[in-house]
Amino acid sequence: MTRNEIKDIVIEIIEDIDEDAEMDSLDSEKPLRDQLDLDSMDFLDIVMELRKRYKLQIPEADYPQLATLTSCVNYLEPKLQDV
Amino acid sequence: MNTNYSLIIIGGGLSGLAAGIRYARFGGSVLILEKHTIPGGLNSYYSRKGFLLETGLHAMTNFADPGEKHAPLNRLFRQLKLSRKQFITHEQFSSLIHFPDKTTLSFSNDFSLLRDEVARVFPSEIDGFDKLQAFIDSLDAFAPNPRLSTRMILADYIHDPLLTEMLLLPLMVYGNSEEHDMDFSQFAIMFRSIFKEGMFRPHGTIKDFLDLLVTKFTSFGGEIRYKSHVVSCLKKGNRITGVTLANGEIINCNNVISTIGAPGTWNLLSLPPENDMCGKMSFMESIYILPSNARKNILNDHTIIFYSEKKEFQYCRPQSPVDPSWGVICFPENFQNLPLGDHFQIRVTNAANYELWKNASSSQYKLMKVEWGKVSKEITTKIIGNYQQNIVYEDSFTPLTIEKFTAKEQGAVYGSPFKIKNGKTPCPNLFIAGTDQGFLGIVGSMLSGVSMVNQHILQE
Ligand SMILES: Cc1cc2nc3c(=O)[nH]c(=O)nc-3n(C[C@H](O)[C@H](O)[C@H](O)COP(=O)(O)OP(=O)(O)OC[C@H]3O[C@@H](n4cnc5c(N)ncnc54)[C@H](O)[C@@H]3O)c2cc1C
Repeated sequence: MTRNEIKDIVIEIIEDIDEDAEMDSLDSEKPLRDQLDLDSMDFLDIVMELRKRYKLQIPEADYPQLATLTSCVNYLEPKLQDV
Repeated sequence: MNTNYSLIIIGGGLSGLAAGIRYARFGGSVLILEKHTIPGGLNSYYSRKGFLLETGLHAMTNFADPGEKHAPLNRLFRQLKLSRKQFITHEQFSSLIHFPDKTTLSFSNDFSLLRDEVARVFPSEIDGFDKLQAFIDSLDAFAPNPRLSTRMILADYIHDPLLTEMLLLPLMVYGNSEEHDMDFSQFAIMFRSIFKEGMFRPHGTIKDFLDLLVTKFTSFGGEIRYKSHVVSCLKKGNRITGVTLANGEIINCNNVISTIGAPGTWNLLSLPPENDMCGKMSFMESIYILPSNARKNILNDHTIIFYSEKKEFQYCRPQSPVDPSWGVICFPENFQNLPLGDHFQIRVTNAANYELWKNASSSQYKLMKVEWGKVSKEITTKIIGNYQQNIVYEDSFTPLTIEKFTAKEQGAVYGSPFKIKNGKTPCPNLFIAGTDQGFLGIVGSMLSGVSMVNQHILQE
């Protein structure tokens, strides 16, 4: 998957989790949680959804690497390159 | 048919359904086993004479507008992938706490009404009340706090015993498993969910709400089986490997969530119950149906009236079959923007003594229902005016009815006074959710199901 495709996937997952999420004004470099006002339970859903779709196991220690949209893409790029 | 599931959930009440949706959502194979013929448990329904009668719902607590992202109700909906925007709610009118000598406090979903009322009726207590409220706001009631006595803490803030009783009545009767006193974390949770957030009804009946949940669950691939009474858990060492049904069928699984309460769960493991696991608080509830035109004869502009005939109400198992000296009068039609039908209901709830109902012969039982229904009607008539002559249909249920339909031992609606807050049991792959995990009410028990799946099952 390309970086852009991965980015679209993450956005799609967030939109799916939160019907009110305003993705248009999102800054890729700023923490998702603050911008979207997500809590830890919502955050777990992003991880679970990636696992369901791509059988990705993301250990809890790696959660900080999913903080911003850009860091998500950086983290997922090597893991999803063959998808 | 699949006979090995990643997760089996015992009980298709609200906590079981919520846990099931949560797990099925991410593709896990899950089976809910419910012994009754329909879902819902304590919050279910039945039909008589063409009326659909609800067995639990007076009101849902934790009201929040769809935009309030962090409110428990909206978090719950996101976790279950249910649309909050499409879920139509009807807020309460206002409710009343009614004590002797015409001392009353009304409250609504706007907290400032309760505050104004306290200032009006108990002017010298308002500072203490504000401080109490600030303290509750600052508290993380969901953290594993040690048990603290609510009466002791309230004494630091409120000095008039009448105000203490008036604040305790609604919060105890809607969610306290302990007699006389209450765990302060539980008090704080109830204070927020009833006084600060407020009460509402979903559009439609509890049946529509249950249908919504079951449909969501099955659309994610979850399976539910009714008339499936789990009688024991199979173990290998300490781990559960499956469950046995009353008909002898064995179903295997990797994990189990039990929503049937701690005593019932310990029973499935053939373990003796620990200390005094059985709760003592049970209730008799009567449902009266009246024609619409009978509304004008009675006090009918509130949603719920919490009443006590005495300055101190006794929150405990009464000495007599029923204690009608305090209780709840609910008007299920009195929510904003509900269409008015030809009939309306009045529901009255009073504390009841399980043992006295249990030991009665079947003819005594019927007589007791009539006799105590009459006493309860007389007392509530003093508060709302005479409705008795207009009743077209009535039915009541007792602690035995609750025990029969939900398997809550001794009909203890709020379960055991000893809550298992981390959900853990002697078996590493068996967890408790629902009433005996510590979250009560409709929204609470559903959040319990969700959080037990999040904590123990999903992240394996
Ligand atoms: C009269 C009354 C009024 C209420 N009013 C309100 C209200 O207005 N607002 C509110 O928020 N809450 C109210 N509640 C409380 C609310 O109903 C409960 O807190 C909530 O429904 C508890 O859900 P649960 O899933 O924990 O338990 P339950 O509903 O008891 O679910 C357990 C399920 O397990 C099943 N079961 C038991 N044993 C077995 C077995 N061995 N095998 C298979 N299945 C089994 C039972 O049949 C049941 O369906 C009320 C309760 C009562 C009784």
